[in-house]
Amino acid sequence: MDEVATKIVEILKKHMKEPRDDIALSTELQDLSIESLDLAMIVFDIEDSFGIEIPYNANEEVEDFKTVGSVVEKVRELIESKGGSAAAAGA
Amino acid sequence: MTKSNGTRRVVVTGMGAVTPIGETVPQLWAGVREAKCGVSELGGFPLEDLKVLIAAQIKNFDHKARLKHFERDKIVLHADRYSWFAAAAADEAMKQSGLKIPVEDPYRAACIVGSGAGGLTTYETAYRDLFIHNKRATHPLTLLRIIGSSAAAHVGIEFGIKGPTFATCSACSTATHAIGIAYDYIRHGLVDRAIAGASESVINYGTMKAWQALHVLSPQGCFPFSKNRNGTVLGEGAGILVLETLENAEKRGATILAELMGYGQTSDAKDMVNPGVEGPREAMRMALADAGLAPEKIDYLNAHGTATAINDKNETNAIKEVFGDHARKLAVSSTKSMHGHPLGAGGGIEATLCIKAIQENWVPPTIGLTEPDPECDLDYVPNQGRDREVNYVMSNSFAFGGLNTVLVFGPPPA
Repeated sequence: MDEVATKIVEILKKHMKEPRDDIALSTELQDLSIESLDLAMIVFDIEDSFGIEIPYNANEEVEDFKTVGSVVEKVRELIESKGGSAAAAGA
Repeated sequence: MTKSNGTRRVVVTGMGAVTPIGETVPQLWAGVREAKCGVSELGGFPLEDLKVLIAAQIKNFDHKARLKHFERDKIVLHADRYSWFAAAAADEAMKQSGLKIPVEDPYRAACIVGSGAGGLTTYETAYRDLFIHNKRATHPLTLLRIIGSSAAAHVGIEFGIKGPTFATCSACSTATHAIGIAYDYIRHGLVDRAIAGASESVINYGTMKAWQALHVLSPQGCFPFSKNRNGTVLGEGAGILVLETLENAEKRGATILAELMGYGQTSDAKDMVNPGVEGPREAMRMALADAGLAPEKIDYLNAHGTATAINDKNETNAIKEVFGDHARKLAVSSTKSMHGHPLGAGGGIEATLCIKAIQENWVPPTIGLTEPDPECDLDYVPNQGRDREVNYVMSNSFAFGGLNTVLVFGPPPA
């Protein structure tokens, strides 16, 4: 896992009631028992960490939030479209 | 099991409190017994240009220790501080009541937990983030923390209450309205049990500025009925009761702490800050009539007693009109001299003290009363509490806007 993925896994673990160490890119978010309110907080933390804005609506099922890998992909895409590098990571 | 007017009798089987002089009812009562003063130097946030630098704050409240065992409400630890106080007080009250958790027959239970202002400190943090720190968003839980019904919802979730669940909001009468409404619901048969009271936690920079601008805070301390009084002192905390029908309490063998016998509520409909004698007087009379008690039966009156120039004089005059000659035999005290003015939570905290007074035949003092005001000439139990037979008590809550509420409690039915 690269820097972006590691940071995202770290954020996910922070919001899990019982954090696990076996989170992979293929892990589905629903298997991490993350509920809608947790997701709002995870999105907030990711946005803060990478200086991006994630289009997310709690009313919609979004493919981007299916697996850890799809979240990482989405974040990477948003960082790139921002025109910068991942320099903001860890900010 | 019914009163002379045909309604069901209502008793208190649990109580909980979080205050600056004790974070549970036993600790609070011990504090009152010692005539402890909860007013201290303001702290916990940058004071910047504040001029009033004292408050009755709850220092080092350990919400994790108090709430980590919550099973059904998963996010209470992330809630606003006012919800923590409510949850901790409700937890104490529910445990004492011995009611099953989650409650049985949940649609026949109510959860009425008010707040004068809800999550004002969360508001302040969010607005600082947006307007000063130019953050792009508020914390995702901001809205849930702010809403004035969140404490009621948190408590209702944890204890599994599925009947009427909401917050009352009437400034300093908030808790008393909540308890009064719960009492009405139970005696008229809408529900059989209720968690009722209020919580407040608004001591932050913005709130202090707003109170300061109204010029009703004392820079020195809360000295009700004293000649030297020069304003109130903001406090914080929660006071919550568990109420149920006498019949249910007896049936399940619960320990009955007191009977809630009377409730009066009026509005001055006159002025936002200048109270009248009539409104408070009528509320007290209404509560006595509801309780079926002559004024002479009241032994102890927990006054609203904010230590503002106008409240204490006005309340004294209203008490004289209601009680006549008995006004001078009655023990009257303002416990706000010790726990500060917890705004909406006041009536809940003071209700617990009234019930303790009945249980222990001991009346709490008004501390800081060294020089009496000639216009406040009743027995305010100055500085030291004392033994006295206490059977019936009255608790007054009078709010900005002229919103008056009064409760009357009596001993557990023999």
